[in-house]
Amino acid sequence: MLFNSIDFVIFLPIVFILYWFVLNKNLRIQNFLLVVASYVFYGWWDWRFLSLIAFSTIVDYTLGILLDKEENEKKRKLYLWTSISINLGFLGFFKYYNFFVDSFVEAFTFFGQEIKVETLYIILPVGISFYTFQTLSYTIDVYKKKLEPTKKIVAFAAFVSFFPQLVAGPIERASNLLPQILQKRKLNYCQSKEGLRLILWGLFKKVVIADSLAPIVNDIFTNYEMHSSPVLIMGAVFFAFQIYGDFSGYSDIAIGTAKLFGIELMSNFKFPYLSRNIGEFWRRWHISLSTWFRDYLYIPLGGSKESKVIGIRNVFIIFLVSGFWHGANWTFVFWGLFHALLFLPSFLLGTNRKYKNDASLSSFNILKVFSNVYNTLLTFILVTIGWVFFRSNTLTDSFAYLKIIFTDFSVENYIHPNGYRLIDYFLLLLFFLVYEYIIRNNERNPIAFKNRYLRLAMYILLVFLMLLFYDDGVDRSFIYFQF
Amino acid sequence: MKRIILKFIVYSIVLLVSLELLVRVFHLHNERPERYADEYGVEKWVPNQTGYSVTGNRKQNVGEYRINDFGFNSVYSKYQPSKDSIEIAIIGDSFIEGFHQDYTNSISRKVEKKLLNIKVFEFGYAGYNLAEELNLMQAYNHLFKDIDRVVVYMRFTDDLLTGEYKLSSRLSLNTPLNKLLKSSKLIVYAKDIGFFDPIKEKIAAVINFSRGVSEDNHKKKNNDSLYLENFKKLVNIYNYNKEKNVLLLDYSLCSQDFLNHLKENNFKTIDFNADFNKVNVPKTLIYDQHWNDIGREIIADRIVEYIKNENLSIRKN
Repeated sequence: MLFNSIDFVIFLPIVFILYWFVLNKNLRIQNFLLVVASYVFYGWWDWRFLSLIAFSTIVDYTLGILLDKEENEKKRKLYLWTSISINLGFLGFFKYYNFFVDSFVEAFTFFGQEIKVETLYIILPVGISFYTFQTLSYTIDVYKKKLEPTKKIVAFAAFVSFFPQLVAGPIERASNLLPQILQKRKLNYCQSKEGLRLILWGLFKKVVIADSLAPIVNDIFTNYEMHSSPVLIMGAVFFAFQIYGDFSGYSDIAIGTAKLFGIELMSNFKFPYLSRNIGEFWRRWHISLSTWFRDYLYIPLGGSKESKVIGIRNVFIIFLVSGFWHGANWTFVFWGLFHALLFLPSFLLGTNRKYKNDASLSSFNILKVFSNVYNTLLTFILVTIGWVFFRSNTLTDSFAYLKIIFTDFSVENYIHPNGYRLIDYFLLLLFFLVYEYIIRNNERNPIAFKNRYLRLAMYILLVFLMLLFYDDGVDRSFIYFQF
Repeated sequence: MKRIILKFIVYSIVLLVSLELLVRVFHLHNERPERYADEYGVEKWVPNQTGYSVTGNRKQNVGEYRINDFGFNSVYSKYQPSKDSIEIAIIGDSFIEGFHQDYTNSISRKVEKKLLNIKVFEFGYAGYNLAEELNLMQAYNHLFKDIDRVVVYMRFTDDLLTGEYKLSSRLSLNTPLNKLLKSSKLIVYAKDIGFFDPIKEKIAAVINFSRGVSEDNHKKKNNDSLYLENFKKLVNIYNYNKEKNVLLLDYSLCSQDFLNHLKENNFKTIDFNADFNKVNVPKTLIYDQHWNDIGREIIADRIVEYIKNENLSIRKN
């Protein structure tokens, strides 16, 4: 079920009413409702894959209890690796099997050996990368004794399948989400209000920013050979905003929906395009994934504390794995590698944590403002170059696209086959950037003006823009569903 | 709890009222003239109405229309063909009606500007199919008999769904409920941009599901032979004048059997598909399937080329 579908518009109020008015007396029944609602939400897409979630839930629930009881380290390790193998096994099979087979065959062909291996027709279960990582974090935390395993299977099932974040995150940690599910929740006016505002803001980002840019991006990336540098730059910049609007819009709706059920999810985006270096970008982009890799991969590998060489190795590992997590395609791996290369200079110079606790671009020092603007622009340009690898179908296409950007500067009057009026989109992006800058310190409450009339005006403006940019011809699914 | 629900309702009402105002202030909504069935049972627009037709989000296409005495969008107040001059009629659906352009810049006007001393009358009405077009010609035979050429625009995939004339259900759009809904410009705008389509599709899917109708089977059904049969039927019923009438077609939409039938039976046709393909810019409006100015120019050129090839003026003399 899509957040931006009529199904969800009907589904959400029904679940909300049942949750707060009908089944609110008993926590267990309320959690059971969450599980049922989540399974309906997921099964709306393809009910057959519910078995995967159910199986993963049972396995990790059981292993969590066994890990807690077991004192023998060898057996504990065995339980941990059982969980990792099962979860990553499913992920590997559904997401990477064909990729590995194809790459294997290609490698042999390159060396002059023709081999025939059959690939399988495999449907990728929506959100498998997200819920797999979520359940893995539970088992690892229990293994490390950072978390008490729960004996309440319904609550655990609700943690694994909690519908607002099930298919595209944020990837929640058990230490944050599970205690909230185990606690009695109360409908809170302020929380619900913030939730509704986040849903509105997320819908705006999805419907207005992402969906309206999508047809132009698709046309430019499909026919990039026919265009010159200015058009391809426009295509890449539009894609940067499309993917941001799409994914952060989804996260906002997820966080907002969770708030309606009295649950706080972690922030997933903090205005990444206002970042002043790549390190800051990764602290603001897909935060739940980057912190997951930091906590469960980078730090266990030694992080940056052992030696520079091991630190560099670890940087490359997490960026490559992060790229590969996105999809079974070399374009994603190269995207990860590209970001590792971008990150490396600041890592070596020790400036990657420079803006860790700094609110974005808030200095009044004019010279500092100039340097901030310069750094922000430079970071955005580099990130946008990276998006070319992410968006292209093949690595060859990515390099060909970039080659045209850097070599063919001829001026061209771009006309989309549907004749879209480009000025509308430039003005829209200008508004979006300015507004993001205004709200840059509060990603969890994007319409938090003190003046109620200003807030009302903002609600009206956002819905009005949705009406103005609503395009009934576009594919309304979210990009990150494919991951 | 009450507070959040109450506020939600109040804010929703304020929001809807504000959106209604904004749509009106920026005139984003489309205006449609009133319909009626005349004394011959022909469905037309109520004469002498003017307004602005708006299509696409963000008011991307605006056209002024003017319904004449006869009930069609045209620069001519009256259609008065004479035996001494050359007149051409263009009959068709919304593509010919051309609400999405100013009535002073219609396909007919474009043709007239390229063919001196020839008048072009328009009989375009949104939703007309071939049965309705032929019925119009028969009902107003006293008018059409003095018109020298009739260009009949037909979309093979849409205009041959029936083989007999029936008064359409479009007239029911003038029900009190519809009139009430139309008084909200926000609803008119939202409907036109397809905002309600997902709801309609969902309702249709539920109805189909309850009836056990598979949507795929419904879509995959090939109706080409049925269209051809309907065409043959209509040609017989209305005694189609092959000498005077010319079919304006997009060949790419037509089945091969249909094209063969036209050729074997000496129907005069104008195909614009090849010319459309030659031009590498959008020929349709944004968010709308109708032809834009470039598309209409191509259509006009094709008609002009046909008329010139026929040497109509020499023949008439």
